[in-house]
Amino acid sequence: MRIRSATDVPYDRWQIEDCTIRRMRVVVGLGISLLLMLTTVPVVAHHAFAAEFDANKPLSLTGTVTKMEWINPHAWIHVEVTREDGTVEQWMIEGGTPNTLFRRGITRDSLIPGTTIVIDGYQAKDGSFKANGRSLTLEGGEELFLGSSGTGAPRDGTDPVERRRPPG
Amino acid sequence: MGDRYSALAVVFGVVSFALGVLVLPAAGQHIQSADATATTVASPVAHTPWGDPDLQGIWDFRTITPLQRPDDLVDKTVFTPEEAAEYEAARVASLHKDQRVEDGLELETDVAYAYNHFWWDYGDTLVEDRRTSLIVDPPDGRIPPLTPAGQLREAQRREARSRPAHGPEDRSVWERCIVGGNAGPPITPSAYNNNVQLLQAPGVVVIFNEMIHDARVVPIDGSAHLPDDIRQWRGDPRGRWEGETLVVESTNFNGKTAFRGSGAGLRLEERFTRVGDDRLLYQFTIDDPTSFTKPWTAVIPMKATEGPIFEYACHEGNYGLVNLLAGARAQDAEVAALATREPQ
Repeated sequence: MRIRSATDVPYDRWQIEDCTIRRMRVVVGLGISLLLMLTTVPVVAHHAFAAEFDANKPLSLTGTVTKMEWINPHAWIHVEVTREDGTVEQWMIEGGTPNTLFRRGITRDSLIPGTTIVIDGYQAKDGSFKANGRSLTLEGGEELFLGSSGTGAPRDGTDPVERRRPPG
Repeated sequence: MGDRYSALAVVFGVVSFALGVLVLPAAGQHIQSADATATTVASPVAHTPWGDPDLQGIWDFRTITPLQRPDDLVDKTVFTPEEAAEYEAARVASLHKDQRVEDGLELETDVAYAYNHFWWDYGDTLVEDRRTSLIVDPPDGRIPPLTPAGQLREAQRREARSRPAHGPEDRSVWERCIVGGNAGPPITPSAYNNNVQLLQAPGVVVIFNEMIHDARVVPIDGSAHLPDDIRQWRGDPRGRWEGETLVVESTNFNGKTAFRGSGAGLRLEERFTRVGDDRLLYQFTIDDPTSFTKPWTAVIPMKATEGPIFEYACHEGNYGLVNLLAGARAQDAEVAALATREPQ
């Protein structure tokens, strides 16, 4: 349902609208605006992630942090991943801007080399060992760098609208 | 007819009020607060030792007020306090929620989110006067339609962005770390780095944006703009004082920066007015007859912050553009391989 703009309303119809109807339109309009902003495609990143990473290549990696690059415009986390066949891969995971991380209290000690993490994201379109860090989870299940509704604090599971990704 | 006129009257009334706080006071006079609901008068504006209004400091322009009024709030210029609280709560919840495919997103949208919103820094409040858009003129709070020439340029840009890039030139100057983001010009709130520092010296003001580590040096010496054939990424700024307001007029854009569809004909006017010890009112007007069917104006309040401003040398590690181009070449190879197989 979409609220018509004033110019869409026929003149005679506009004349007979009373204040109650107009108040209703504002309230409904506000609700729809909130709904739209929850569902529209975001334009937030410095560059187009959909052009860099492949929606058809979702992945979940478990690896050990070897280095974190605090570089602009995006921080990169380097992770060593050992496959079941023993093959070792060096992955790079793209994150957000270091400035925001600093302001959120993340420091160079927050993700030290040797930490085992699980990365959930999408692989680079060229098939190289790069991915966006859609979410990061510590070995014990604690999720890093995740915002829960309203607080900006790590997701704590108390939000009823949160849905968990199935394991595996 | 009466209802329509009364609706328009309300719109114009609110916009006039919003603009009214920008009315230039004579030197030494008090300046009203930017808050449309406030009636208090701010303390006198400080001046530099050489007599100019002192705008110096670090200013935070985060807000969740959208640049354009949402379509469904066409009749709503200003939120009531209750509506503002509802909007803020829902907006903050939306921004901080880690949305996934499981929440109904398409795969492409999930990728476009890049990562969850822990990484972002939008702020969590509307502007203090509770406007539903940063744009105050036109009264509908919307960017005016593009001219045919402007539409053609935008169509060309969209075409280049919608396919694998042939080279870096097909991508935005922002992705290429040349200029852009919320630094503009003009300055507009965005997902992060919403800070600008103003520095002054006799005859010059420096507008130093955290985003993309961008410093504009604005002469305030009465000098003329550069010759028309000299074009610059951020235009050629010239400043002047109108009472307590710094007015910066920029021309000579190279046409590659495209602020919301602008072109090389852009004449950008920015106005900075200190409306209190901890408040700065920023207003910009986009006047580009070759791109927009009429000029448009936005007003953005800024709050003093201790900072600091962090470095954001975007170009230093912009792996993203390299990866993006590598992805484009991989897509080319897939198409070529497909074409090879088809005849069989």
